[in-house]
Amino acid sequence: MTDDPQRTSGNRTPPLPDEAAVIARAADGDRAAFTQLMEHYQSACYGLAWRLLSDADQAADATQDAFVHAYKAMASYRGGIFRSWLLRITANASYDILRRQQRRPTTVLPDPDEGAPELPDIHAVNPVAEATKSELYRHLEAALAHLPPDQRTAVVLCDVYGMDYNEVADMTQSALGTVKSRIHRGRLRLRELMAEHRELFTG
Amino acid sequence: MLNQHHPDDERLSALASRDDDAAADAALTSHVHACARCADLVSELGVLRTSLADLPDLRPSRPLQLLPPVADDRSATGAGGWIRRLFAPALTAGAAIAMVGLIGTAAPALDGVAGGGGIFQDVGTRLSGGDSAAEELAPEAAESMDVAVPADGYERGDADSGAAEPSDAALGAAGGEGTTDPDASQGGVSRLETFDGQLPAERSPWPMVLFTGVALMVAAALLRWILVPRAG
Repeated sequence: MTDDPQRTSGNRTPPLPDEAAVIARAADGDRAAFTQLMEHYQSACYGLAWRLLSDADQAADATQDAFVHAYKAMASYRGGIFRSWLLRITANASYDILRRQQRRPTTVLPDPDEGAPELPDIHAVNPVAEATKSELYRHLEAALAHLPPDQRTAVVLCDVYGMDYNEVADMTQSALGTVKSRIHRGRLRLRELMAEHRELFTG
Repeated sequence: MLNQHHPDDERLSALASRDDDAAADAALTSHVHACARCADLVSELGVLRTSLADLPDLRPSRPLQLLPPVADDRSATGAGGWIRRLFAPALTAGAAIAMVGLIGTAAPALDGVAGGGGIFQDVGTRLSGGDSAAEELAPEAAESMDVAVPADGYERGDADSGAAEPSDAALGAAGGEGTTDPDASQGGVSRLETFDGQLPAERSPWPMVLFTGVALMVAAALLRWILVPRAG
């Protein structure tokens, strides 16, 4: 595993101000417009891939695969929230890698204490609260990485990226009941893993 | 499913995520309202969900190539693009032609393995035009032929001419069958014509087909290697 990724300053990437126009140009084959979209959403896509795969190199590969798929599918994009569309493609690309990885299993799990600690933003309104939040995110990411892959995938897609049960079931080619069970068991396991850091939730 | 006192934790998780079926379960919701342990669990799971939903995006640890197809498209439409597109069909055609040539060349030999006679039998048949190779190789016959064959090296095959008679006689002297048979004489003529400097194998088109196929493959590979720009 290579360097840990850095969290972006904001929480989630907002849509581009003139996103509809940029998407229309990209769908017409404008490479500059497509590059602009990918540049804007690469942190969102990479974040999803990293959380599903727990490996920086594989996450980068999955993100690039997703960009290639998106580029090919751009002409057939039929509206809706672009970020969700792109995230679905990224999730599929990541899940493909995950399936290949499960056929040839390796035990690469990130160490929660590995990597440089996130420094609080000194320009933040409340640096203590920012530091606490940063610490919470770091432990949450580590706990997610310790979930079994099927539970992690379900929890990440549903709870982190807001996909509904049916979308997760489609993506993972699993039964709806299986997906629900994975999500609930994954959440309960996360709660156990985060038990030592419970005070961060209230901070 | 309930344990001794509390609902199953997965049902409580479903309630925390406000699943319709869990929220509509009156027994479950009334239990949670009355049970501190279950209420805490639902509350914690709710906070956990909120925290997960707040996780920020992650910046890649190395720059990503945003448009991988650009390079491929350029190479496909650039100088070497048409060569790249022609390479596969040319290579396939070459391989197919070479395979046909190879089969054509090897077929008589394979036939020989299967039938016992093979290419030698075929050549032998062509040479003798008759039944017995011993006849053909008899030294007396060869001598007679030396006498009979005119200066230009060809026996014309005229059975009535005087020149043909010593040949028949010589063949008869060699102890072969059918010495007086005019066909034997014709056989001798056939042999002589066969040995006029052209071997049977040289008349076969298959080696040339094989060579053409291999040459096409090599030429296609060479052209691609020379003309198509390589990465790096």
